[in-house]
Amino acid sequence: MAEDVKQFIVLRLDQELFGIDIKFIESIIVMQSITRVPKSQPYYKGVINLRGDIVPVMSLREKLGLESDDYGHSTRIIIVRPDEQAAPAGIIVDEVKEVIELEDSDIDQLAYDKTDVKSNISFGIGKYKNELINILDIPNLLLEKETNKK
Amino acid sequence: MDVSQYLEIFIEESKEHLQSLNDQLLILEREPENEDTINEIFRAAHSLKGMAGTMGYKRMQRLTHDMENVFSEVRNGKMKVSSELVDVLFKGLDALEEYLANIQADANEGTNDNEDIINSLNNILNKGLGKAPVESSADQKPTVLSATSIDTDKMKFKHIKIEDHEKKAIVKAGTLGMNVIGLTIYIHEYCVLKAARAYMVNRNLEEHGEIIKLFPTAQDIEDEKFDFHYSVFMVSKETPEKLAEVAESISEIKEVVADYISLSNEDVTNYTNVLKREETALASGAARTSETKNGSVQKKANKPVTNRSVRVDIEKLDVLMNLVSELIIAKNGLVSISSTSQVALEHGFSEQIEYLERVTTNLHESVMRVRMVPIESVVNRFPRMIRDLSKKLNKEMELYMSGEETELDRTVIDEIGDPLMHLLRNAADHGLESNEERQRLGKNSVGSIFLEAYQEGNNVVIEVRDDGSGINVDKIKKKALERGTITEDQAARMSDKEIIDLLFQPSFSTAEQVTDVSGRGVGLDVVKTKIETLGGEIEARSVLGEGSTFIIRLPLTLAIIQALMVMIGREKFALPLGSIQTVENIPNTDVRMIQGKEVINLRGSVIPIIRLGEVLDCVKAENEPEEFVIVVVKKGERLAGLVVDELIGQQEIVIKSIGKYIKAHKIVSGSTILGNGEVSLILDVNSLI
Repeated sequence: MAEDVKQFIVLRLDQELFGIDIKFIESIIVMQSITRVPKSQPYYKGVINLRGDIVPVMSLREKLGLESDDYGHSTRIIIVRPDEQAAPAGIIVDEVKEVIELEDSDIDQLAYDKTDVKSNISFGIGKYKNELINILDIPNLLLEKETNKK
Repeated sequence: MDVSQYLEIFIEESKEHLQSLNDQLLILEREPENEDTINEIFRAAHSLKGMAGTMGYKRMQRLTHDMENVFSEVRNGKMKVSSELVDVLFKGLDALEEYLANIQADANEGTNDNEDIINSLNNILNKGLGKAPVESSADQKPTVLSATSIDTDKMKFKHIKIEDHEKKAIVKAGTLGMNVIGLTIYIHEYCVLKAARAYMVNRNLEEHGEIIKLFPTAQDIEDEKFDFHYSVFMVSKETPEKLAEVAESISEIKEVVADYISLSNEDVTNYTNVLKREETALASGAARTSETKNGSVQKKANKPVTNRSVRVDIEKLDVLMNLVSELIIAKNGLVSISSTSQVALEHGFSEQIEYLERVTTNLHESVMRVRMVPIESVVNRFPRMIRDLSKKLNKEMELYMSGEETELDRTVIDEIGDPLMHLLRNAADHGLESNEERQRLGKNSVGSIFLEAYQEGNNVVIEVRDDGSGINVDKIKKKALERGTITEDQAARMSDKEIIDLLFQPSFSTAEQVTDVSGRGVGLDVVKTKIETLGGEIEARSVLGEGSTFIIRLPLTLAIIQALMVMIGREKFALPLGSIQTVENIPNTDVRMIQGKEVINLRGSVIPIIRLGEVLDCVKAENEPEEFVIVVVKKGERLAGLVVDELIGQQEIVIKSIGKYIKAHKIVSGSTILGNGEVSLILDVNSLI
């Protein structure tokens, strides 16, 4: 069973918990100044300088249709890559909580309404202790395949 | 032998040889008698054959071998260069290129035997040789006639063909009072190192004269590619007997036969004349003194000067370039600290910073220059293409190229070929009228296409021009109306230039429709997109009846540029310095409204102004300033004024992509990291005008 265990980073938006498979995660950094990119998708807040590389940063709240961010001292930017060759991108979250281990059997596929934005970016729902954790599908979240938009 | 590690070199070098063959064949077609060209072709074909053979590409080797045979006959003057021959040779080259493309794709030459090409080569070869039977028989047979020997069979050298240039050397030796002697050296069958023996014999012989020819060739002898005998031709003052003695003195030599060699009277007179001509040429200043001394086999082979260059993988250069970029960012950081903090006051600090700035700028320029490749490597295939097009379209045309030495970044070079080819094809196919039509119009019946490249400031400009019929604006207008691209209203208001620009619209791109309209525009939108992804721009100009010109402007550098930093609202933006004309302070009362657009009158010319703040959704200043800061930018012929809030200054910036996740406004061409670590966006002003 051991090979079915995956590690996830748990993050919080409002009261909701989300998980990201650590294989996508490159680093987690504190909030820093973001340069706005005019006329981009509204949920992209702009670009940052990550050790000399330009990395676009998205607000997960706005992507999910929640209220816009109110940056606080626990706000973090999670730097992810959809795959090893792909360019990195940042995701702004309210708080990064912990690293957990889930087995495949702990993750349920939920039947979302197809029109819901969450159906495209959710990989499944993980059960951990008494919490439900929405596992994010990072490649889908970033690459925004055309079919997903409709 | 495992040759895979040489594959890359093989591909590179084969490409060079093929290109050289292409170029030289084109020259040969025009000047069938050009000896240098023939030699050059022969050499390239020979190396190509050898390389293909070493790498085990049998089909490629066979085809080059047959081509080489033809070249060899041409070189020996036994065949004339005909247009038919050149056609077949070009076909052969195409086939070789195909092999090479296959090899490049999967290290395998493919299975096409190209029998038809080989057959027609051989046909031509036979026919060509048959045409001149007298000449060839005289050449095939040994030219040595004077010697009367008992043992002619042993004197193998008497049956060896003497090449033209060797005849020349022989005649020359005669004029200098030297003897030309042929020797055939037999080595004992039990000799193990016959190549070494041959070497010793030759060395000893050379003490008594000069060897002008070896049969088999020196290389073959060295590689032991001969039976137990070989022949030497040498120029010497000694008698044949003496030389034979010298050669026999080496151990393991079985026998040496030798005799004088002389040419037929006809040859002697011929080459004496040739020599006289050459000597006059020499006397008239050509400093080729060594030739009289050397007069050897190698005399025609003007060896290329060894290039003091190194082949470097482009990726290594990319790494170097990235490091330079990092260095410049770090330097910018230092500059910004020095301007704000106390250290600046320290003695000598700012001098050092300035020194650092100079060094990094020079370093950047040097690295850029390393990455620069002459545009020649792209355009040198065009003469061939135009030749083929000319035959195919049955139109006579001539391509004039200039500025092939103009240099561009390697990445641009790799991409620019297709768009240029496209434009040239357009010019040849649609731009130029038929020969009859041109005659009727009183033009030179042979159409001209010009490809000119030159540097202009920070840009490289490439112009593709033809002297054909030009672009018919009315026809485009009509077609655009039919297709609903523009409305009647718009059509009436559009300038000719704007209408010509319609050609670059995707809707005008399909061949059939556009050929009907104006004979122009096949895929021009594709060309435009390509050029724009390279950071360049394209513009069309045309005079009806006189021809059209396509002008491509490309930035010299892709990664690091000089930019003017400006403040709009509370944000900093970078404007590339290349497109900026002037910066003006204009009182807001000078701004007029014309047709719903804001314009200013700048020293007599009316130019539209663009409020960058509005385009970029920047935070607006509370109250409008009394004076605008306007950056005047130029795109081709057009000017526009960009309203900014404040000028910060000029800075060297490193362009970084913002990636593909963000779908930014097309005005954002990239971003850069400022000295303090902040990110600033670079605005592509061209997209606004």
